[in-house]
Amino acid sequence: MNTVSLYAGSGIILFSLGLHALLIRRHLLRKILAANIMGSGVFMVFIAMGARGESGVADPVPQAMVLTGIVVSLCFTAVAIVLAVRINKLTGCTTLAVDEESSID
Amino acid sequence: MTELIVQQNWFVWMTLLPLGAAVATFLAPGQARWIGLTTALFLPFCALAAIAATVFSTAQPLTVGNWPTPLGIELRTDGLALVMLAVTALVGFIISCYALGYFPPRQHHLSRTHYFWPLWLFLWGGCNALFVSGDLFNLYVTLELVSLASVALIALEGGKAALAAALRYLFIGLLGSLAYLLGVGILYATYATLDITLLGEIISDSRLNHAAMSLMIAGLVLKSALFPLHFWLPQAHTMAPAPVSAVLSALVVKAAYVVLLRLWFEVFPALDTLAIGHLLGLLGCVAIIWGSLMALRQERLKLLIAYSTIAQIGYLFLVFPLARGEAMAGAWVGGVLLMMTHACGKAAMFLMAGTIHHTAGSDRISRLAGAGGPIGVQVVVFTLAAATIIGLPPSGGFFAKWLFINAALATGQWWYIAIILSGTLLAAAYIARVLGWAFLDVKRSSYPVIPWVMKWPPLALSVIALVFGLIAYAPVQIALIGAPVSVPLLVEFGP
Amino acid sequence: MEPALIFDLVLLLILIGLAWLLLASTDLFRAVVLFIAFGLLLALAWVRLGAPDVALAEAAIGAGITGALLLVGLGRLGSTERCRFSRAPLTFLQRLSAPVLVGVMIPSISLILLLEVHQLAGTTPGRQGLINAFLDVSGSGHGVTAVLLNFRAWDTLLEKGVLLLALITIWSLDQARPLFHQEDISPQLMGLARLLLPLVIVVAGFVLWQGDQAPGGAFQSGALLSAGILLAILVGYSLPQRWQGLSLRLLLAIGFGVFLLIAAATLLYSGYPLQYPEHLAGSLILLIELVATASIAALLAAAVVGGHPPDDLSTPAAKAPSTSGRR
Repeated sequence: MNTVSLYAGSGIILFSLGLHALLIRRHLLRKILAANIMGSGVFMVFIAMGARGESGVADPVPQAMVLTGIVVSLCFTAVAIVLAVRINKLTGCTTLAVDEESSID
Repeated sequence: MTELIVQQNWFVWMTLLPLGAAVATFLAPGQARWIGLTTALFLPFCALAAIAATVFSTAQPLTVGNWPTPLGIELRTDGLALVMLAVTALVGFIISCYALGYFPPRQHHLSRTHYFWPLWLFLWGGCNALFVSGDLFNLYVTLELVSLASVALIALEGGKAALAAALRYLFIGLLGSLAYLLGVGILYATYATLDITLLGEIISDSRLNHAAMSLMIAGLVLKSALFPLHFWLPQAHTMAPAPVSAVLSALVVKAAYVVLLRLWFEVFPALDTLAIGHLLGLLGCVAIIWGSLMALRQERLKLLIAYSTIAQIGYLFLVFPLARGEAMAGAWVGGVLLMMTHACGKAAMFLMAGTIHHTAGSDRISRLAGAGGPIGVQVVVFTLAAATIIGLPPSGGFFAKWLFINAALATGQWWYIAIILSGTLLAAAYIARVLGWAFLDVKRSSYPVIPWVMKWPPLALSVIALVFGLIAYAPVQIALIGAPVSVPLLVEFGP
Repeated sequence: MEPALIFDLVLLLILIGLAWLLLASTDLFRAVVLFIAFGLLLALAWVRLGAPDVALAEAAIGAGITGALLLVGLGRLGSTERCRFSRAPLTFLQRLSAPVLVGVMIPSISLILLLEVHQLAGTTPGRQGLINAFLDVSGSGHGVTAVLLNFRAWDTLLEKGVLLLALITIWSLDQARPLFHQEDISPQLMGLARLLLPLVIVVAGFVLWQGDQAPGGAFQSGALLSAGILLAILVGYSLPQRWQGLSLRLLLAIGFGVFLLIAAATLLYSGYPLQYPEHLAGSLILLIELVATASIAALLAAAVVGGHPPDDLSTPAAKAPSTSGRR
C-alpha cells in the first residue's frame, strides 16, 4: 500500500460512486453533480499515476490532460445546467420524463 | 503558386477552416449563411486535394508542432481518415445547401438561423479533427467537441421534448467519454504514451489492458448507440430539425465508430479479443433485427429512419467478429464502405423526410397517403436513398453486405449470413410500407412550394449512395492506404 | 504507518464520504455546498500528489465556477408542482440496466483495476525526461505550461473551441436574466465586494504572470478574473448596451480566434500547425495566454449569467446584466 495506489483506488471508487448516482438519480442537478464526481475520480487516477516518478517529480502530461479535462467538464456542466433550467421552465419538471404526446415509444 | 497549393497539408486545413468559419459566423451572425456556404463549398476541394496529396505521396502524417511522437500529437492522413474527411465534406456540403432553404433568412424564429451555422461548423471541424487524430487523449477532446455541438444542435428546435433529448444525449456523451478517458488514463499509466501507432507496437496482453480496453469500448459503444445502449438515439435524432437529424445520423454516430475501428485494429490487435468481438457481433445482430422490427411499426417517418439507423449500426459492429484471419481485409473494407454509403444514404433520407414533412405538413406515414403523385420527386429520391439501406445492387450497401457475407463464409460463421439476409428483408419491408402509403390512389389538395435546395441536393446524395457499388473501387483503394489490414485478399472482391 | 500516509488516508476517506453524502443528500442546496467543499478538498489532494497547477484550477474552476453555476442554476429551478410526469415509470431496459451496471460491471471493473493498479505503482516513469529535454526550446520554463501550449497545444486549441462552443450553446438556449435580486444584497456585502475587486484583478494578473515559470496560467487566472466580473455584477455594474454586441462577442471569441490564427499561420509558414519559430515561441505563448485569459474570464462569467444578451433578439427584454462593465 503506498500513496499512488491509495489515490488511484480512491479515484476508481469516486468514479463508481458517480456512475451509480448518474444512473439512478432522477433530479437533473443530482445527475450533473454525479457526472462531476465521476470526472473527479478519473482525474484522480490520472494525477496519481503521474505522481509516480523518481525523486517525486510529477509527470506534467497527466496534469495538462487533467487541466483540459476540468475545463471540458465545466463546459458540459454549464450547458447541462442551462438545459435543466429551460426544461424546468417549460415543463415544471426537474427530471427527464417527457410529455406523453411528444414522447416517442 | 501550384507548389504552394500542392504542398499544403490540406487535411489539417480541413480542421482549421470550419473552426475558423464557426468563429466568423459567431462574430457576424448576419453573414452566417454566406460564410457557412463558402466554407462548405471549399471543403470538398480540400478533401480532394488531401487525397491527391496522399495518393501522390507528397503528404505524410505529421505531428503538431513537429515534436517527436510520444511528446507531440500525430495527425494521420491514412486511408480511413481520408475517406471519412471526403464523405463528411460531401455530405456536409449537401446538408449546408439544404440548410440554406430549411432556415430561411427572414424567419420569425430569428435565433435558430443565427445559431445553426456556428454550431454546425463547430461540429464539422470537430469531426474532421477526430478523423485525423492519432492520439488517444486528443480523440477524447475531439469526441467532446463533437458531442457538445450535437447536444446544441438537438436542442436547437427549443421544444421540451427536444431539450430533454438534448440533455439525455449530453449525459450519455459524458458517461461514454468518461469511461473512455479512464481507459486512456490506465493505458498512459502503463506505457506513458498516447500515440496510437506507438501503443499498438508495445501493448501486451494483460488483465489491466483488458480492463482499459473494455472501458474504452464500452464508452464508445454507448456513444455509437449499439443495442442495448441505443435508447437515447430515436429521440435525439428525430426531435432535431431535418438537417441536424441528417448530420447526427450520417456523421456523428460514425465519429465514435471510427475511434472504435482505430482502437480495435491499431491499438489492441495484440490483445485476445475473440470474446469481446463475438459479444459485439451478437449485439450487432440483435440491433439489426430489433431496429428493423421497430422501424416496421413506427407511425412517423423520421422515427422509422432513426430505427433504421440503429439497425445499420448493428451491421457496422459485425466487423469485429468477422475481421479475423483471411477475412480481415474484407470485413474491414466492408465496415468502412458501409459507413460511407450509410452516411450518404441516411443523410439523403433524413433530408427528404424533412422536405416531405415540409410539403405534406406532417411526417406521419399515414398522412403520406396519395403523396406519390404531387410530391413524387421527393418520394422517388427517398426510395433511391433507401435502396442502399436495404442493400440493393448496385448500391454501396449491397457491396458492403456482400463483403460481410464473404467474410462470414471465410471464417465459417454462417449465422451472420442469416442475420444479414433477414435484416435486408425487414429493411425492404419497412421501406415498402412507406411507398405503399405514398402511392395509394387518394386525391390530394395542392402542396406548398418548397425551395429547390430542399429538393435537388438530396437527390445527388441518393444517387451517389445508389451507384456507390459501381464506383467503389477508387474509395476502397484510398481507404486501404496505410490500412491496418492485409491488402491482397481484397483484389478478388473488386468489381 | 507514516504520518503522511495517514493524512492521505484521512483526506481520501473524507473525500469519498463527502461524495457519498452529497450524492445521497435530499437537500439540493446542501448537496451543492458539499460539492464545493469536495472541490476544495480535492485541490488539497492535488497538492499532495505534486500537481499544484491542477490544484489551482480545481479550486478556481472545479469548486469556484462550477459551484457558482450550480448555485445560480439551483436558484433558477422553479417549483415542481406543475410537473405531471415526475412519477413516469421506468422502461424495462432502464430498470434492467442500472442493477446490471451497478451490480456486476462496476464491482468487477473496479476490482480488476484496484488489483492491478497497485502493480503499476512502481513501473514506468512518465515523460518528465523527454519534456525536460525539450523544455529549453519550448518557450516556457514550466513543464505543464510547455505541455499545454506547445507540445500538446492541439488539445488546448480544441479545448478552447469547446469553451466557446459551450457559450454559443448557452446563448442559443436562453436569454440572460438577472443573477440576483438587487434588494437581496446588503450594503455591507456591496462594500466588501468593492474592496475585493481590485485585489482579485491583481491576484489574477500575478497568477497569469507566474504561469511561465511556476504553477498558474491562463485558466486559473481567467477563472479568478471571472470571479471578479461576477463580483462586479453583484455590486451592480453591467455592460453598457452598446458593448453587448460585437465587442462582447469579440472578447469572447478572441482567445480561440487568435490561437486558431496562430495555428493557421504556422501551418502556412512551416507546414506544421503550431510549430512556433524558436525565437518567437516565448512571445507567442505569452500572446496566446493573454488573450486566452481575457476570453476565459468573459466566457466563464457569461456562462454563469447563462444566456445571450437581450439585444440579440428584436424584442426588447428586461434589462439584464451581462458581463462586467470594466472592459
